[in-house]
Amino acid sequence: MKKSFLMSVAVAALFAGAASAADLKFAPGQDSKFNWKSYDEFKAAHADLKGEPLTIFGPWRGEDEAFFLSVLAYFTEATGVDAKYSSSENYEQQIVIDTQAGSPPNIAVLPQPGLLADLAGKGFLTPLGDENSKWIKDNYGAGDSWVGYGTYKGKDGKESFYAFPYKADVKSLVWYVPENFEEAGYKIPTTMEELHALTDQIVKDGGVPWCIGLGSGGATGWPATDWVEDIMLRTQPPEAYDKWTTNDLKFTDPAVVAAIDEFGKFAKNEKYVNGGVAAVASTDFRDSPKGLFTVPPKCYLHHQASFIPSFFPEGTKLGQDADFFYMPTYASHPELGKPVLGAGTLVSITKDLKTARAFIDFLKTPIAHEVWMAQSSFLTPYKGVSTEAYANPQMKKEGEILTSATTFRFDGSDLMPGKIGAGAFWTGMVDFVGGKSAQDAAAEIQSAWDGIK
Amino acid sequence: MLLQIVSALGVVVGAVIVCSAYFFFSNMILDLALPVRDGDIRQASRNLNRRAMIRPWLFLGPALFLLVVYLVYPVVATFVLSFYDRAGLQFVGLANYKWAIGDREFRQSIFNNILWLAVVPAACTFFGLVIAVMTDRIWWGNIAKSIVFMPMAISFVGASVIWKFIYEYRGGNDVQIGLLNAIVQLFGGTPEVWISVPFWNNFFLMVILIWIQTGFAMVILSAALRGIPEETIEAAVIDGANGWQIFWRIMVPQVWGTIAVVWTTITILVLKVFDIVLTMTNGQWQTMVLANLMFNWLFRGGGDSGRSAVIAIIIMLAVTPIMVWNVRRANRELKGH
Repeated sequence: MKKSFLMSVAVAALFAGAASAADLKFAPGQDSKFNWKSYDEFKAAHADLKGEPLTIFGPWRGEDEAFFLSVLAYFTEATGVDAKYSSSENYEQQIVIDTQAGSPPNIAVLPQPGLLADLAGKGFLTPLGDENSKWIKDNYGAGDSWVGYGTYKGKDGKESFYAFPYKADVKSLVWYVPENFEEAGYKIPTTMEELHALTDQIVKDGGVPWCIGLGSGGATGWPATDWVEDIMLRTQPPEAYDKWTTNDLKFTDPAVVAAIDEFGKFAKNEKYVNGGVAAVASTDFRDSPKGLFTVPPKCYLHHQASFIPSFFPEGTKLGQDADFFYMPTYASHPELGKPVLGAGTLVSITKDLKTARAFIDFLKTPIAHEVWMAQSSFLTPYKGVSTEAYANPQMKKEGEILTSATTFRFDGSDLMPGKIGAGAFWTGMVDFVGGKSAQDAAAEIQSAWDGIK
Repeated sequence: MLLQIVSALGVVVGAVIVCSAYFFFSNMILDLALPVRDGDIRQASRNLNRRAMIRPWLFLGPALFLLVVYLVYPVVATFVLSFYDRAGLQFVGLANYKWAIGDREFRQSIFNNILWLAVVPAACTFFGLVIAVMTDRIWWGNIAKSIVFMPMAISFVGASVIWKFIYEYRGGNDVQIGLLNAIVQLFGGTPEVWISVPFWNNFFLMVILIWIQTGFAMVILSAALRGIPEETIEAAVIDGANGWQIFWRIMVPQVWGTIAVVWTTITILVLKVFDIVLTMTNGQWQTMVLANLMFNWLFRGGGDSGRSAVIAIIIMLAVTPIMVWNVRRANRELKGH
């Protein structure tokens, strides 16, 4: 009796092991484009965590959630940690409630450094230590920038490194349909001046150059902030950009007003945008790029981040049916180099536990990046990954923009206080497109900022 | 799924058992502590009186306790928070209140709230009354009533999504898929981005709430209209009153109390309006209302508990008088004027 019981336990254990190994998307040690050595090393170093709990909270839902879970499977397989991932549509609210209520997850993944800085200031985050910040600095493209985005003032007023960047987006992209360009004989602009010329040329040829959609339900206006940020980086030194995100450079500063106006040159010209100016604020950002793919095309150009292909019509082949080019810089500002605007999610510890530390260590292995890269919708500035793992050449191209960036700047609206970056700035842009002057819109945003000081 | 259903059922059953046990045992203890024996009649009657005095509190106890935990305590905590800084750590006195008075967006919200208050309860009550009167006289009145009442069953967010499609705008030469723009185009007008037209967009949002709440007003008022004695109307008819006069001089005065209740109930609802604005505009294009402003201050970017607490207190202060009046009125009506 006892023997057969032990037998069945053994058999069950065997099957359990087999089942979890089968959960892994790519069998360890097989495909040579993955860095399996890093996985084995990590496994060897964290073998003592079997059955210990870990809760992770993040913004990834739907497809992204499935991708993340496939990455997490490697972590649980290697360590035996009982890791649970949960997410929320309103992650911003949820994390504030959870931390405030004293029942936070162990790990919080958030795409907003501003929100994280706030949580750190209230003492809800655990510092990750110098060793991790140094690692980021050494291993990430434009590493110093990334360290900066994870470093905040704690409750005691001391600056520490709190948030580990994992998964990034590139924003400085302009999408187009190569076929349409070929047919009309347009060339990819290499400078902003050329982009302006191309815009005019398209109008002259009887077409509409741009599809711009700022609609995003309650978040309407955010796509415009990306435009303004991209232009800021192309007209001002990065230091000015940094000062702008902390309001040391006022919104009413001529530099900022000029950047808004520059965006207006595209968005507020009846002939430049599909559907006319009135359509800009009301068109949903998810619907907006569809104009690229109609016959005849409703527009030729679309400025949007690397995530946008998920909203392209079904069956669109990247590189063939749609492609992108780097949002060019001004020939008149050669000193600014090639800046990259982006965003990303940052991982921080909201309730310290050995397993949480292990998870941060896991993120330092190339395998934690490559598994997701190979399934699409994941870019990383980590220089140690094999770019061969990227699911397609477009992503590889985007990934290389990240790793080779000299200046990387985080989405400014995510750095500003929530009230501005996720509020007044959006509203201001909507008002601007709706007819307000850049000066007035900027003054409005500035007065909102003065209000929260 | 099954697990959730089973555990939910378990909770329901368990709660009922716990409640019954509480009442049963607390009563038993009360009876034991204050015995009514045949021996001493005076003692017995005193105990009986005491029991009668204590028993209601025993029954109300759990409810009162929950009320304190979930209502009184939060109100006090919110009030206290309104004097603290954004993290709720440092006492800042009246600074948050001072901010509120000076803030443009706050004043805009107050203005919009007043606009909502002026329009929505009046419109709902008016339409509800008119529909109630009219549907009483036609054979398909009940069908019409059901249709008018149906939006009540839709959540605010669901209703907003429906209306979003009605106000939808497509730029340029695209085919308008929004009902309103399609109609406008049919009559030769130019399509408009309705929800971004300053000032007027407030009214487009109000329409949604009116659409939802008219059914409520109609049902209550129609019941009240049924209560009007036939004789008074007959007498008026004999005296030669026309329909208009019957409505204004006979019916409305007789259901005046009900109108007031419907009006105030919807007024309280309007003061708390939140979902519609969140779904349609999130307060952009100058449609911000107090509840949304509070939500934004509390949750956007880490939050500011002090300022959101101030707004919460102001909403509460605005609701209270109407609430008190409503309760008093209901009490008076219960006692028969």
